[in-house]
Amino acid sequence: MPDLEEAPVLLSERFRAAALERYTTTRSGRDKPGRYWKIDLDALDLPMLLQIGAGSVRFDGVAAGTIVCDLDTAAREHGSLLERAFGATRLRSTKFGALTTAYTGLGAFVYVPRDRQIDEPIVVTYASEAGAAIFPTTVVLLEDGARATVVERFEAGSGAFVCAATEVVTGERADATCAAVQTLPDDARFIATRTASPGRDARVAWAFADLGAELVAASAETTIAQPGARVDVTALFFPAGDQHVDLVTSVLHDVGRSTSDTLVKSAATQNGQARYLGNIRIAANAQQSAAWLRDDALLLSKHSHIDSVPALEIAANDVRAFHGATVGAIDVEQIFYMESRGIERAQAERMIALGFFEPAIARFPGETLREEIRATLAAKAG
Amino acid sequence: MSGTGLVIHDLHARVEEKIILKGIDLNVQPGKVHALMGPNGSGKSTLAFSLTGHPKYEVTGGSVSLDGENLLALAPEKRARLGLFLSFQYPAAIPGVKVANFMHAARQAVRPDGLGPAAFRRLLLDKMEALDMDPAFLGRYLNDGFSGGEKKRLEMLQLSVLAPKYAVLDETDSGLDVDALRSVGNAVKALRESDEGKATGFLIITHYPRILQYVTADVVHIMMDGRIVKTGDAELAQRVEREGYDTIREETGALA
Repeated sequence: MPDLEEAPVLLSERFRAAALERYTTTRSGRDKPGRYWKIDLDALDLPMLLQIGAGSVRFDGVAAGTIVCDLDTAAREHGSLLERAFGATRLRSTKFGALTTAYTGLGAFVYVPRDRQIDEPIVVTYASEAGAAIFPTTVVLLEDGARATVVERFEAGSGAFVCAATEVVTGERADATCAAVQTLPDDARFIATRTASPGRDARVAWAFADLGAELVAASAETTIAQPGARVDVTALFFPAGDQHVDLVTSVLHDVGRSTSDTLVKSAATQNGQARYLGNIRIAANAQQSAAWLRDDALLLSKHSHIDSVPALEIAANDVRAFHGATVGAIDVEQIFYMESRGIERAQAERMIALGFFEPAIARFPGETLREEIRATLAAKAG
Repeated sequence: MSGTGLVIHDLHARVEEKIILKGIDLNVQPGKVHALMGPNGSGKSTLAFSLTGHPKYEVTGGSVSLDGENLLALAPEKRARLGLFLSFQYPAAIPGVKVANFMHAARQAVRPDGLGPAAFRRLLLDKMEALDMDPAFLGRYLNDGFSGGEKKRLEMLQLSVLAPKYAVLDETDSGLDVDALRSVGNAVKALRESDEGKATGFLIITHYPRILQYVTADVVHIMMDGRIVKTGDAELAQRVEREGYDTIREETGALA
């Protein structure tokens, strides 16, 4: 934790207290526990339960001419830049975004100046000790015409709790890709709140793979308030054992001529449980917008369960919107075809399940990251 | 029940309570080509799926042996490993699984020679060249978005790479164009001329005799209403070409 006496106003004690108050009084917006889903996210008394750890952050792939630093340094040395992005989205209005803000002591600031285009991903790795809680906040600000990819990683020991937030703000024509691969230990818990606000004619692409932790509660909300913006959302998750995954993605088209493309691929095996809510909202004046939402869920065992709810709310009349959702087991014809070539059933199921994720994997940045996702999925598929 | 050959004896089978096969007897010896012809609904595809162990097809009587092994007691992948192959009329599309990876897994399953990826790729490219196939096939997802002709070519590539002891080619009503038929003919010919495949026995299931212009059959069987009603030589196929199935139906008193 920073020394609060000297902390800049952004991270002052009053600021944190207000955020904690917001956390306490805001509802998660998630459904109550049901027949399959047993966890009440609003009833988790997290601050009381947690042992807050210091944690650490490190950076890889930092290109010249950019600012990549921890949040304290950013607040001290780049306060006016940080303020343009930190708190510029709805992050702190959300329950868990407010919680992260209240306790954040760990964080990263990525700033890319005008027209600077970076190919190599900037990798932000947060680490914490076993049994500790960390509240990392990643803030990304891209100026007009800038392009960058930020990859968040989380390393933690057994029993860790990671409550992360990511906030992305871009100027005009910028192109920001934010990916996260979460492979925490099986008894860890992971909450992530992601919000973004792309500038005019800019693009924001989210790609996250939630493959670890016993409980994942993740959300990604992008508000399109500038015309011509494009948002791509890619998510994949694969609860196995007793893992639970709760994901909400939201794209809010508040202005016209905006585009979004959401692709979610999930599978569940053993007692894995998941629920997904995919929101697309197109406001009345957001004419000539286009929104796609595709969500496929594969059930690989009798006791696995995935609830999948696409929710489209369209107030404009001159838009193109598509949504499609499937939930089911592997097609018997696919299995038989592979078996008829001598491939054992278990291997056939594994190959088909991994293939099922491919369209989502293909949207992650970098072959190294994609290979890591494939290997993690393969290990989970047994 | 012992001895070589794909030997089918008095085979009965049903699909969802509907009895389709009513006693089939066939004996396909190594290196021989049998054609099984018949009108729509006579049970030809049911025979193919019953032999390979499709879960929706239930064998209710009779026996099938492959070089002396009781085929019907085995799971589908075990039948394939004994050397049985089915070329599907409508092969399943499996998005996300690349042709090259699938072919490698299948080859290792039925011919576990431990060929590494590079050596296997070379073998695959050789076979593809012989079948006049574009190497770009290897990077595509299995049958995903393939045309009918492309699916057929991929089935023939598998026939060539897996080099089974007995191949069942389900060509019924496939609506193939001349190029696709020729590719089937070339694949069968190439396999029969190879070391691995010179003793392969074929059961070619077909509605129209066209395919037999590209592959010469040693024996031709006519199937109607779940039974084989007539067996002859290549001349029998030519008779079907001239007269259709009606005269044979009248002659044998078959129902369908």
